[in-house]
Amino acid sequence: MIDKPGCMEALKEVERLLDGELEAELRIKVEKHLSGCSPCMDRAEFRRHLKVMISEKCTGDAPPPALLIRVRAIIEERDVSSP
Amino acid sequence: MAVTGGTETPAPAPEPSTPADDAELRERFERDVLPLLPNLYAAALRMTRNPTDAEDLVQDTYLRAFRGFSGFKEGTNLKAWLYRILTNSFINTYRKKQRQPQTVEGPDDVDEWYLFDKLGGRNVELSAETEVLDKIPDEAVKGALESLPENFRLPVLLADVEGFSYKEIAEIMDTPIGTVMSRLHRGRKALQKALWDTAKERGLVDDR
Repeated sequence: MIDKPGCMEALKEVERLLDGELEAELRIKVEKHLSGCSPCMDRAEFRRHLKVMISEKCTGDAPPPALLIRVRAIIEERDVSSP
Repeated sequence: MAVTGGTETPAPAPEPSTPADDAELRERFERDVLPLLPNLYAAALRMTRNPTDAEDLVQDTYLRAFRGFSGFKEGTNLKAWLYRILTNSFINTYRKKQRQPQTVEGPDDVDEWYLFDKLGGRNVELSAETEVLDKIPDEAVKGALESLPENFRLPVLLADVEGFSYKEIAEIMDTPIGTVMSRLHRGRKALQKALWDTAKERGLVDDR
């Protein structure tokens, strides 16, 4: 259960921890709590997994070949009207 | 790193450019900016939510980026610079076509552990919960992200999909960092709810 001292304090920092946005002192404190508290660690691991899953599944849309041709035309300044 | 170089009004070059400068610039653009096309196209799809608008948005972004490239300082954050142009183009041009309300509150009944708690979270191996996440098809995850109102969707896209820092997102969106953090937090909660709903619709989880 999430009732050990420090659980709430640690859990509310998990989002920033996973974003790499926690200042060193707080990061060390939160990591220390997580490594000694498996329910909190499970929650943090789940959030990490979720973040990775979103990143992996929301990419990989192949640009249509016609778009690459349009973009190359910009670089070569072909068929691109002036503003 | 700071996002330097104006997107709309690039700083004038100190000296008139010569054909040799132009060739060098073009070569650098082709080497550094062109390879980001797949990232930009995927991000544009999540923003506009349709392939035709996404293609136009990416083309527009490349056009603006190419014209402003002489104002971009080499060695600074190219990806953030480019995403700032993308985001500005989206907001200025394509957002007008979107019919969604722009300012929406996050779901009140959802906390940041919503999905974990919904998926069990009690006396179950963690693998059971993460397995459900892995089973949600790519298209459904994209759909869940695209279902978020724009003020939540952009920060989540920039942070979780593109990996930008809070500071970079603040610069890309021209928004205070505190606003970025609060929208990101609320956007992620809304996304968890959308993922739960899509998993439920697909029969991947039992509702309880």
